[in-house]
Amino acid sequence: MRYVKLSIENFSSFFNSLRNWGKVYAPTKRGSIYTFQEVHDQEEIELNYTRTMLPPKKFFVRPREKMFQLKNGHWENRSNAEPIVLFGLHSCDIHGLKILDKVYLEEPIDPYYKARREKALIIGISCMPDEYCFCKSLGTRFAMDGFDLFLHELPDGWLVRVGSVRGHEIAWANEDLFEEVTDEDLRNFKEFEEKRSKSFKKELPGEGLADMLDLAYNSPVWKKYAEICLACGNCNMVCPTCRCYEVCDRWINSYESVRERRYDSCFMENHGLVAGGHNFRPTRLDRFRHRYYCKSYFDPSSGYNCVGCGRCDEFCPAKIEHVKVLEEVRGSLR
Amino acid sequence: MSENPHQSYDARILEMKDLTPREKLFTLRFLDPEVGEHFTFRPGQFVIVDMRGFGEFPISLCSSPTRKGYIQLCIRKAGRMTKFIHKMKEGEIVGIRGPYGNGFPMEEMEGSNLILVAGGLGMAPLRSVLWYALDTAKYEDVWLFYGTKAYEDILFRDEIVHLMKHGKAMGCKVKLAYEVESPSCVYLERGFSDRVCKGVVTDLFRGEIFDVENTYALICGPPVMYRFVIRELLDRKLSPGRIYMTLERRMRCGIGKCGHCIVGTSTSIKYVCKDGPVFTYWDALSTRGLI
Repeated sequence: MRYVKLSIENFSSFFNSLRNWGKVYAPTKRGSIYTFQEVHDQEEIELNYTRTMLPPKKFFVRPREKMFQLKNGHWENRSNAEPIVLFGLHSCDIHGLKILDKVYLEEPIDPYYKARREKALIIGISCMPDEYCFCKSLGTRFAMDGFDLFLHELPDGWLVRVGSVRGHEIAWANEDLFEEVTDEDLRNFKEFEEKRSKSFKKELPGEGLADMLDLAYNSPVWKKYAEICLACGNCNMVCPTCRCYEVCDRWINSYESVRERRYDSCFMENHGLVAGGHNFRPTRLDRFRHRYYCKSYFDPSSGYNCVGCGRCDEFCPAKIEHVKVLEEVRGSLR
Repeated sequence: MSENPHQSYDARILEMKDLTPREKLFTLRFLDPEVGEHFTFRPGQFVIVDMRGFGEFPISLCSSPTRKGYIQLCIRKAGRMTKFIHKMKEGEIVGIRGPYGNGFPMEEMEGSNLILVAGGLGMAPLRSVLWYALDTAKYEDVWLFYGTKAYEDILFRDEIVHLMKHGKAMGCKVKLAYEVESPSCVYLERGFSDRVCKGVVTDLFRGEIFDVENTYALICGPPVMYRFVIRELLDRKLSPGRIYMTLERRMRCGIGKCGHCIVGTSTSIKYVCKDGPVFTYWDALSTRGLI
């Protein structure tokens, strides 16, 4: 890794230079929520944000996207990717993108996702956890890769980790804006990280979690929460790693049709429905449990399917807390 | 080949044949000979049929890769899209993409006995195995146990009756079970009293002994069937690793992206479209929700 320093005075020049790479999207505040929006001015950004409602997956797995357009009985490809800069991603969201990469970039590669991913510049920023965050428990509180530049807050600027060749090129193009990192900067960096580490309020003990949950398949806790759950699918929409999609063909006029895909939710009744009406997850309990098992699946190469961002808790209308459910399920075994 | 795995290829419907009032057999050929040349598959794999403008649906291949130049799909009229394809005419074009899934491990099973256990529409993917096994002649005895609701529901009836009559020379034994009686059944039963019975598919196991060291069982049928058939096989001490079954789930994309066919729990998650649709009984023991 290469480390450089960006001082407070140079921040705006650096930020403005990013527009040479593409449209810049950064966290902004709309009403009471944060959201990634296109920004033209440094003033619009909320650097001290907690979490956006929709994670950065919305730039790569679009909420609704045209895949093909039917012309004269034949599909024409409808991929459109433009260069973008995603500024200010938290570590958990970078991990979320890595999990999506594993799905969409594994053979056979999804060309729509790949095109957009290749054209996106990822710039991370350090954060302080709030009451919903539990990324520390899942090992996603620090991003080792998956970004081009990562900005860590210092009292007088940012310690920048350069994570890719492209990141290096940006630092190169703006050489005069960056300085060498001093010992004091490193001390401040360490202090910030230690303070951050101590600020986590929520913890999910991960040891043996996957096995414990598997054993608790028939726990009454699933039932208890499935009854509270509204099955609205909000948690799926805001989850940085949920990526189920539904495909449908839509006629524009008598001659033209488009094939679209859009977010789907495993809480919807038809998620496991097959031809002839057989449903493999007929009850809300089945669907509720399915989501928790999907999120808690542990892949030796990429970890859990959950990054601990806390969105599903914050945006759950029934106030169901992910960690609490898992803890109770685990507890019910004792 | 296209770089977009979501893109289908044009295929012409060469022939449409009624198998039952609900099921039709579609014979298709790719328009582009190069695509047809590249299209190889294993028994047990499936394709996605693209009804451009109306949607897509997955369907298992029921022809054998040993018979080249065409593919066959047995399609039951079950929903909006299949109703639509049933109304199409010979000569019309549909899109096909695939093949998808793992298919049966045909090479691994060479030299062994195969017991195919089919229930209803489950005959379709197993027909691919049956023809493959008989065409390549690399297997010992090939048995087919097939259960349907009624005589009228027997798929590929002509082929099956033909095998009942002449299969013996090829080491092929076919047994049928039906649940609802009809004059045709009685007729069939009179001709093959030792191989046709009224009952369910598990009744066909009665009195059968097989060499468990050298036998594989391949099952496909409605979800309710698996447990009972597997019990029969386990009673006869067949190893869970030698019991293969092909499963149905909502396979939307076919390539492990859309997430609809995910099964399992925190310790083991499988995509039926990619890791399956063929699984062993051991997979079912270690992955909850598979059967």
